[in-house]
Amino acid sequence: MTIKVLAFAGSPRRHGNSETLLDWVLAAMGQDPDVSIEKVPLTEANINPCRGCNACEKLNRCIQRDGLDTYHDKIIEADCIILSSPIFCLGLCSQVKALVDRAQVFRSRKYVLKLPVVPVERKGKRLAIFLATAGQTWPHVFDAAVPSVKCFYHVIDIKDADISYLMINGVDESGAILHHPTAQADAEKLAAGVLAEQKKRLAAGPV
Amino acid sequence: MTIKVLGISGSPRRHGNTETLLDSFLDGAKSAGAEVEKVVLKDIDYSPCRGCNACHKTGECIVKDDAPALFEKMFAADCVAVASPIYSMGITAQLKGFIDRAQYLWARKFILKTLDFSEDYIRRHKGVFISTAGQNWDHVFDGAFPAITALFHGTGFDYSDNIIANNMDQYGGIKNHPTALKDAFAKGKEIAELLGSRKNP
Repeated sequence: MTIKVLAFAGSPRRHGNSETLLDWVLAAMGQDPDVSIEKVPLTEANINPCRGCNACEKLNRCIQRDGLDTYHDKIIEADCIILSSPIFCLGLCSQVKALVDRAQVFRSRKYVLKLPVVPVERKGKRLAIFLATAGQTWPHVFDAAVPSVKCFYHVIDIKDADISYLMINGVDESGAILHHPTAQADAEKLAAGVLAEQKKRLAAGPV
Repeated sequence: MTIKVLGISGSPRRHGNTETLLDSFLDGAKSAGAEVEKVVLKDIDYSPCRGCNACHKTGECIVKDDAPALFEKMFAADCVAVASPIYSMGITAQLKGFIDRAQYLWARKFILKTLDFSEDYIRRHKGVFISTAGQNWDHVFDGAFPAITALFHGTGFDYSDNIIANNMDQYGGIKNHPTALKDAFAKGKEIAELLGSRKNP
């Protein structure tokens, strides 16, 4: 059994705090021989913002031809989908928001056209992780990002209860997360927990 | 002196619900004698913040495009109305892309301490958020407010009003909403008059 993990590194800054957090999760998951990981830095993914044209409500596909053509299929094929973002101005960075907004094509498929997003036998078998870092120390610094993340996962058929979160505040300058007392251990624990649950779900057979 | 009101439209769709609501606000301000201008983000050239933090040292953005000029335009205005539809429980990526670029102003204010707004200055500058959402949930705008707060806080505006209308999908568009367009017009007029009285006592 291969477990497909698709991970979007959303920060415009390569190898910064949110990507490091993601790398810890992926390294822990990658130790398992059954796991196949694809990591996608959004800086290289060529995913443009949604144009709000609503054509997807009729066409069941986006009229834009860009990186989402590739990742649309990968999002459907993956078992576990991970998104990492730094918090900019109390929200997702705009690069991540662009990906979230482009998931409109899945929303149209699910809620307007009433078509399946994933085959019925894979429903309830997909898990998600949201990772975020913020420079601010406020505990509410992630509050505005989470609803958009939930939207993204809901429209690709991952329920609230199947989304795990690790959000680390108070890490601002590049590399600050390396000095965080628990972030790496928390990331590894999260990876192990999600992977164990993922295996359980996939082993359980069709729902 | 004439009051200047700047509208910034963050919708990728021209003349949709949100921009129409913004237009009504701007018309109201105009009716009170304000000079109004509208900038449509989809028609200007800017890219998202790269998170390079170079501005933390220099107070300048290394990306040379239309974004800094639009922030300058904000500084020249007495009132700025920022408009975005709600996409996925937040503002559009287009507007978030512009707001994230204000990082160099944040750096000036909080790191370099070269930018400061007096209480009196903020009192004379008002920021308004204008939005529409298809969903009928009351909390559908909650994820949008913090980024707007960050923008106005960093640029010296008293974020005083939200002009928001949900449930667009049910109404079949803003034109069928019983009160939103009238309320936006009235608010534009009221703010232009208020700021006018403060500018020309």
